[in-house]
Amino acid sequence: MGTEDAHDDHEHHLPAVEDWPRGFGEASWWPFVTAAGAAGVYVAAALYILGRGDTSLVSPLAGPAALVASIGLFLVGLYGWVYHAFVSTFWSREANPDSANKLRWGMLAFLGSELATFGALFGYYFYIRAGNWESIFVGIPDLTGSLVIANTTLLILSSVTLHFAHTAIRKDDRRKFLSWLVVTVLLGAVFIAGQIYEYYEFIIHEGFTLTSGFFASAFFGLTGLHGLHVSLGAVLLGVVLVRALAGQYSAERHVSVSTASMYWHFVDVVWIFLVVVLYVGAEVGV
Amino acid sequence: MQVNGQLALTVLMGLFLVAVAAWVARVENWRSYTPVAGGGGYGQEDSYVSNEKPSGVIRWLTTVDHKDIGLLYGAYALTAFVVGGLMVVVMRLELINPGQTLISNTFYNSLLTSHGITMLFLFGTPIIAAFANYLVPLLIDAEDMAFPRINAIAFWLLPPAALLIWAGFFPIGDIIPAQTAWTMYTPLSVGEGLGNQGNAGVDLFLLGLHLSGVATTMGAINFIATIFTERGDKVSWANLDIFSWTVLTQSGLILFAFPLLGSALVMLLFDRNFGTTFFAGEGGAMLWQHLFWFFGHPEVYVLVLPPMGIVSYVLPRFAGRRLFGFKFVVYSTLAIGVLSFGVWAHHMFATGMDPRLRASFMAVSLAIAIPSAVKTFNWITTMWNGRVRLTTPMLFCIGFVSNFIIGGVTGVFLASIPVDLVLHDTYYVVGHFHYVVMGAIAFAGFAGLYYWYPLYTGRMYQKTLGKMHFWLSMIGTNITFFAMILLGYGGMPRRYANYLPQFATLHRLATLGALILLVGQIIFVWNFVQSWLEAPKIKDGDPWDLKDSGLYTAEWDWFDRKLQTAIADGGEEADVVPDGGEEADVVPDGGQEPESDADE
Repeated sequence: MGTEDAHDDHEHHLPAVEDWPRGFGEASWWPFVTAAGAAGVYVAAALYILGRGDTSLVSPLAGPAALVASIGLFLVGLYGWVYHAFVSTFWSREANPDSANKLRWGMLAFLGSELATFGALFGYYFYIRAGNWESIFVGIPDLTGSLVIANTTLLILSSVTLHFAHTAIRKDDRRKFLSWLVVTVLLGAVFIAGQIYEYYEFIIHEGFTLTSGFFASAFFGLTGLHGLHVSLGAVLLGVVLVRALAGQYSAERHVSVSTASMYWHFVDVVWIFLVVVLYVGAEVGV
Repeated sequence: MQVNGQLALTVLMGLFLVAVAAWVARVENWRSYTPVAGGGGYGQEDSYVSNEKPSGVIRWLTTVDHKDIGLLYGAYALTAFVVGGLMVVVMRLELINPGQTLISNTFYNSLLTSHGITMLFLFGTPIIAAFANYLVPLLIDAEDMAFPRINAIAFWLLPPAALLIWAGFFPIGDIIPAQTAWTMYTPLSVGEGLGNQGNAGVDLFLLGLHLSGVATTMGAINFIATIFTERGDKVSWANLDIFSWTVLTQSGLILFAFPLLGSALVMLLFDRNFGTTFFAGEGGAMLWQHLFWFFGHPEVYVLVLPPMGIVSYVLPRFAGRRLFGFKFVVYSTLAIGVLSFGVWAHHMFATGMDPRLRASFMAVSLAIAIPSAVKTFNWITTMWNGRVRLTTPMLFCIGFVSNFIIGGVTGVFLASIPVDLVLHDTYYVVGHFHYVVMGAIAFAGFAGLYYWYPLYTGRMYQKTLGKMHFWLSMIGTNITFFAMILLGYGGMPRRYANYLPQFATLHRLATLGALILLVGQIIFVWNFVQSWLEAPKIKDGDPWDLKDSGLYTAEWDWFDRKLQTAIADGGEEADVVPDGGEEADVVPDGGQEPESDADE
């Protein structure tokens, strides 16, 4: 299986066995580095705003440059963090049900906060939908085409395949686990590509853009926020897939499979709600 | 004029930062391995893990120890408290005279905005996080927070957030500070029209606010996971202490309130920069108010619940008896948590919203007074016939109850639509909420800072100075904010830098009160810093003689063990009761109804 040899921390292929700073136990640079990267993203946004217009304070390139650097730093921090917290000692540390429990609670609480994140945008949409809708819903391209139906089917299907993968690893069936996981990630990627294609159609061919008025704000706000979430979900599943390909996970050790699944299912449920109220709901009764 | 004010503030800030740096340099010996306080590797069991921490500044940058992070939060919050306090001192000085004297009206608006945001987001929430980080793991017998590293990153996002929020005050090109008030009402904050709110300073301010919200939400997720999963074997839901209950409820509120504000802020930023129309249309201003107050009112309880927890925790220690009606204090906390999401539109009674909606929000707003009153009566009853010891933390607790009654009762009047229509946007509102945020929340913060001073410094503060601090704060608070309530009755509108001459006397009174407060806080800082540096070390693990009244608690037991690490013992465990009103080993997993707490 290629997993037993990972027991040995002195195995050559492990990039680093000691956390940073070395030898100080719990102390770690990773939160600080990651925080610097994350804060850098905000500074980059600030620089971008300062670089706009005729009387810009900084070069228009400062923002994008800072953004790339910050995301790089953020990813480095996240890599070091996740690697040392979860990956490097994956087989040698104890499979602790308490630790699994707290990670699940953490994900659950995070999903609760996500409800509120989406809530503001749905609130805006309901607010205009309940208002003078006839005058707002003008010049909007056809929303409920075959693309949305295909995309929705793909995303629901990906939730099912992910569930199969999860069940497989619980039964220690690695072959099935891996194949269903690959299918899930592929379906997710196709969904994202479909969303990009939809944006392309709307923006380039239909002339329906972010600045096209009240409905456009709701449409691009909600689908954009959801698209970011699917992308993050795909990254999480990608990380799980890479770790699975490297031989990790077993029936006793699959916490990150279940937390990533919780996130993916959540994003799927939000999408179904979004299709019903935003795509279908906008056109019903007009 | 504006330049003068800004210059004065910059100089003040500079002096202050130098003082902080000097203090930190004295407190922390950069080259030593000896921790300032709370160090050591408490509860670490992994054999390969070294118990030492890196030395000097690296220790603080790399720490994931909840006690260290608590101290970082505390230092950050107190710094913000000083900044926000100095801002309002400048404003109060301007208000001595009806006309424009010291600073320009626009600079006054900037200070007004930043004072509010600083006190609520950069002082209020972090000082609570300081207490919660330091104490909750000790009180629930956890090794650390559920996610120590997320704990660290949640803190380290805050300093850049503060810099972005204050960016307009720094001399960067033509950036000016936001003047939107802390409510950031649209269309003003969208930057349209002839005003100067299109300035990028507002964008930076919004970005900083969003970042601080992300940090706060991460902290809340961490507290929820910690309290649900990290409780020790003896700590059940039945005997969970009151402070942890309030932190848990607060975290639940943060979870649904802050991300919603975050989305609303991003929508506002898109309106300002990318031509979206979230808040531009007819009704956009109302929508912003709905979204903002859907966050904003729970935020009030985010700020007040843990301080209520501190008072519920500390006050019984000096009343010589258990908290009266413990269960009802918990229930009222949960009730406030639930109701707090159903009251937001009472901030909007005067907007011309649908009268039927208005009436329902009035009903819920009046209803939320009930659990608040339940708590108040429980505090009073706890002291009734108790053996009250008027130590500084106890004085602050009693001051809290007193000020909270005034702040709360004035709030009940505001919850009533007809009264609110008269008093809306007057100084009455300002007086009301300052009685709560300064008179109650900050007082509870001081009570906690004094009560646990030996715990986190290993030393005792100077008692006379502590009492002077209390009395100056109590008198200053009541002069300042009672004058504001009277100003409101007289019809003085909020947020104005200039006013009619008829209000001059009361405004001067309020300024006098603010200066008394300032003197009190200078004494506090002096006492806090000097005692930390020079007071003799505490040798007793029970500095408040809690064992005499059977009110000894887990955090002091931890402190005692820390003091005696040289001597291997563990026999004290049995004396410790979690604060949940019942001896830990008597309650079989919540199956047995705990009897009344305070009937002895």
